[in-house]
Amino acid sequence: MSTIIYGIITSVILALYAVGFSLTYGISGLANFAHGALYILAGYISWNLMNYLGLPFLASAPLAVVACALVGFIIYWGLLLRVRGIPLSELVVTFAAGVAILELLTWRGFYGISYSLPVFVEGGVEIWGVAVDAQRLLVIAVGVALVVLLYLFVHYTKIGLAFRGMAQNERTALSVGIESDWIGALSLALGSALAGLAAVVVLPLGMMESSVGYEVLIYALAVAIVGGLESTPGMVVASFVIGFGQRITASYIGPKWMIIVPLAAIVLVLAVRPSGLFGKFKELEERV
Amino acid sequence: MRRRRSVYLALLVGATLLMFTGPLAAQAADPIVLGAPTSVYTPFGKSCLQATELAVEEINKAGGVQVGNVKRPLKLVKSDTRGGEPGTPLHDAIMAYTKLITEEKPDAIVVGAFRSEVLMKAMDTVAKYKLPHLHTIAQTPGFQKKFAEDPEKYKYLFRVTTDALIPGSYTQACLDILKKDFGLDRVLFIYQDTEWAKAFAGLVKMLSAKSGWKEIGFDAYAAGANDFSPALEKAKKENAQVIVIVWDVPLGAGVFAKQYQAQKVPAIVVGFVPPMAAPQAVKTLGPGVEYSIHVEFPVGASLPLKKLPKTLAFLDAFKKKFGDLPEAAAVTSSAYDAVYIWKEAVERAGSLDADKVVAELEKTDYKGVSGRLKFDKNHIAIFGNKDANETGLAVVFQWQNGPDGQLIRVPIYPETVAEGKIVLPPWMKK
Amino acid sequence: MQPPDVKIRRKRLDRGIKARTDSVFVIAAPGDIIYVLAPRVLPVVALLILPFFLSEYHQEVLVHASVVGLLALSWDLLACCGLFSLGQSLFFGVGAYMAGMMDYYLHLSIWIGLPLATLSGGAICSILLAPVVRLKGVYFAMVTLMLPLLFRKIIEASGLLGGTLGLSTRGSFPNEWVAVYLGIIVFLGVLFGLRKLIDSDYGLVLKAIRDDDRAVMSAGINIYARKVQALFVAGSIASFAGAFLTYRYEFVGFSVFAWDYAILPLAAAALGGPGTFAGAALGSMILVPLSEALRAMGGLRIASYCLVLMVSIIALPEGIFSFLERKYHQFESLVEVK
Repeated sequence: MSTIIYGIITSVILALYAVGFSLTYGISGLANFAHGALYILAGYISWNLMNYLGLPFLASAPLAVVACALVGFIIYWGLLLRVRGIPLSELVVTFAAGVAILELLTWRGFYGISYSLPVFVEGGVEIWGVAVDAQRLLVIAVGVALVVLLYLFVHYTKIGLAFRGMAQNERTALSVGIESDWIGALSLALGSALAGLAAVVVLPLGMMESSVGYEVLIYALAVAIVGGLESTPGMVVASFVIGFGQRITASYIGPKWMIIVPLAAIVLVLAVRPSGLFGKFKELEERV
Repeated sequence: MRRRRSVYLALLVGATLLMFTGPLAAQAADPIVLGAPTSVYTPFGKSCLQATELAVEEINKAGGVQVGNVKRPLKLVKSDTRGGEPGTPLHDAIMAYTKLITEEKPDAIVVGAFRSEVLMKAMDTVAKYKLPHLHTIAQTPGFQKKFAEDPEKYKYLFRVTTDALIPGSYTQACLDILKKDFGLDRVLFIYQDTEWAKAFAGLVKMLSAKSGWKEIGFDAYAAGANDFSPALEKAKKENAQVIVIVWDVPLGAGVFAKQYQAQKVPAIVVGFVPPMAAPQAVKTLGPGVEYSIHVEFPVGASLPLKKLPKTLAFLDAFKKKFGDLPEAAAVTSSAYDAVYIWKEAVERAGSLDADKVVAELEKTDYKGVSGRLKFDKNHIAIFGNKDANETGLAVVFQWQNGPDGQLIRVPIYPETVAEGKIVLPPWMKK
Repeated sequence: MQPPDVKIRRKRLDRGIKARTDSVFVIAAPGDIIYVLAPRVLPVVALLILPFFLSEYHQEVLVHASVVGLLALSWDLLACCGLFSLGQSLFFGVGAYMAGMMDYYLHLSIWIGLPLATLSGGAICSILLAPVVRLKGVYFAMVTLMLPLLFRKIIEASGLLGGTLGLSTRGSFPNEWVAVYLGIIVFLGVLFGLRKLIDSDYGLVLKAIRDDDRAVMSAGINIYARKVQALFVAGSIASFAGAFLTYRYEFVGFSVFAWDYAILPLAAAALGGPGTFAGAALGSMILVPLSEALRAMGGLRIASYCLVLMVSIIALPEGIFSFLERKYHQFESLVEVK
């Protein structure tokens, strides 16, 4: 029983890590390698808002999310605009931006044992004899709400539709008046905001320091690729496959092998079924 | 477009210029250079460097080090090996060492490598450049092994802190008390899958089996782990009464501390989990740390002990200079002692010549914060569990409810420094 | 921004000497000879003389620059046939561990172990990656990014090959000079060898695979076989770098799979200009000393390193080498568009 419950929690956390990354890639084809850095940046910002300005966590968390969106926006207009279309340079620039952010945080002293965000909700409940704390339940709720909202957003709002237009055919989108750079910047901002949101929900479960950024990036990549980039249901399924894979590995093989699951999943999926679990034929052609 | 490019170029030139202004810091007249290469951005590295700074400041205030018939001030040069961060190539850490030694020309090295792998390789680097090296963080038993292979070559290296086995035997002593006083006998081990933690946990496993403990699990987690719920669930299902955990990476330790509280595991935590042991633990992790038992090695790293006045003095001075107690509940006092041990050796030798200083270092008999330190034939500081006037000492303490309602850390073992007894949490009395 | 009334554009013209040395088969004038040879010979001579003037530490930096240079060259070769790799650390690490095993378990001498590790490393890498050569772009990159991480974690968790402790090997170079010069000479050899290779017919096919793989397929060439061959060459080059460092440090541990060895070569190629080999080499000769010089910045080292990298890539997207090459061969002037 505990395997199922904690498996679900792990999976939702993975999905939260990945949703921003996969959204940005799906819309504008940008692999945002600064994703992990933005994630931890949100934690840092909200911690500082709380401890230096005395804001409550409920106020500092949304501010941190907005700040992340801004940083994402700036990364696009300030850095990516000039190298747009050169995948190598895009990748190196976002990765360098991410590492720069992480290292600056480390330099500011963002490591060690004193950084921890409070939980939104105290206490816990027992579900079928398994103790689960309220914060983890909140994580599940946020994860589910997020996926549903995103679905509604890209299917029923103007910007959302523009996003999908860009993803499907950039030229046609241009010809109907969708501004490619704006949408690109917005998609990066949205992806970054989602990274920030994941951070303020998930980080209270443990401690934080800048090195978390690298790990989050790897998980985001793993989930996004295994699910098939740009496919939201694929992403959800992938996070469950990896989440439960980890949990089962921990129970039956040994906990130290847990970290290997996502890595092996990526390699296997790409070798056997390159379009991801839920990829479509069109993507297959792009990949192979 | 053109203007934009020149702006970028100007930025590039600016950045390049900036990096040359760094090393131009003014130099004091003829100081002795003390090198401190370590992983600066880790709690242990940071606290050790602070302790070293404190020692250097005190020595300089007192006029400096007496070399022959001149008194010379000390200058501390730090260098970041990034060696504590997983994923730093060994090569990069060793380059930091080489650069520090060849460019700054220090007369000795303190604090030193963080990860055992870096220390092992740095042993060769130090042997090549021949200068005293007193390391205070890395605790791997691999050091003795490599040292014994060629004592003459590695004679410049000294370990001023404990071995991974010392905190292991302390932890076992604490388990013995728990068994004797409260009749507990079911234990689950969780350890970080690195060499020193395995040695630590392995020793406790072996000793506890001998003294009749029933082992429920011996679980290794990768150093980057961020989820301990499998082990915690196991502890709950199989009624573990004690969880022995050995973990030094702050991140995972923090996750463990929070998950342990969230899952309400009815077992007492014993071992080494820095965030739960740190003086700041209540602030970061909340009141849930109460009743957890930790081993701090050596004494004086972060816990002031009433029966050892030197720890009080050191931690007082530390608090005055840096505003708070050390973040790391281990090895800080070793770094402080190391500077003094080296200073005394230099003064006895009357010279900075490496071989002469090493000869004196071997004769060290120093009563410092961490106890009375002598080196054995493998150049390792000798630690025991009885008297700080005989050997170096470590300490076991428990978070307990203090007289004024605040949580305080009460030393409980060894008897010579104990100020209280182990208290069993109410939810464990059946 | 609205354009002003007069439109200006940049006009480029080849220098006379460039046109002459390009088209005239026999070059007679000393000026011409110098013009053609200088950019090739000067760096070689400089690199070969440099170690005599350097302190031990700076020699070490130079050797490391050559090692990263080798990785960057091997990256560039893969990029030439459309394989975008993020995993030079995989090749590097496999070579390093092969050398470690040759020494630790088989006690082979360095002069047997080094070439063996080089070739077996290349072979292992090409076998490992053969199933995924049909992937393109970022997908191939992901596999190569994850494999070294996976290997690292497996070694860490299983304790195989020395586990977290690594293998302490015994064999090493007879003396410093041999190591320094072996590094530099192999680096230069690979640089010129690859430049030669890519201009040959064989190289032409590789480049064609990158530009239009279907066209190459329709010409009846097995592109997957070609890609695996390129993987073998690139893998061997990078494995040599890894094996070289193992012998140099008499140690191999799982940190050889670190991201640094994947990112540094990539950054070097991006900085110098991909696709030219000389760009990758130049980039690594700039980046590695830069990263060492930045040690003076203490904690800001990596951050400022990333900053320099970003700024230079954005300011010169074509790469430093291509920029220099253009300036060397061409005039530039602004002319009014009529």
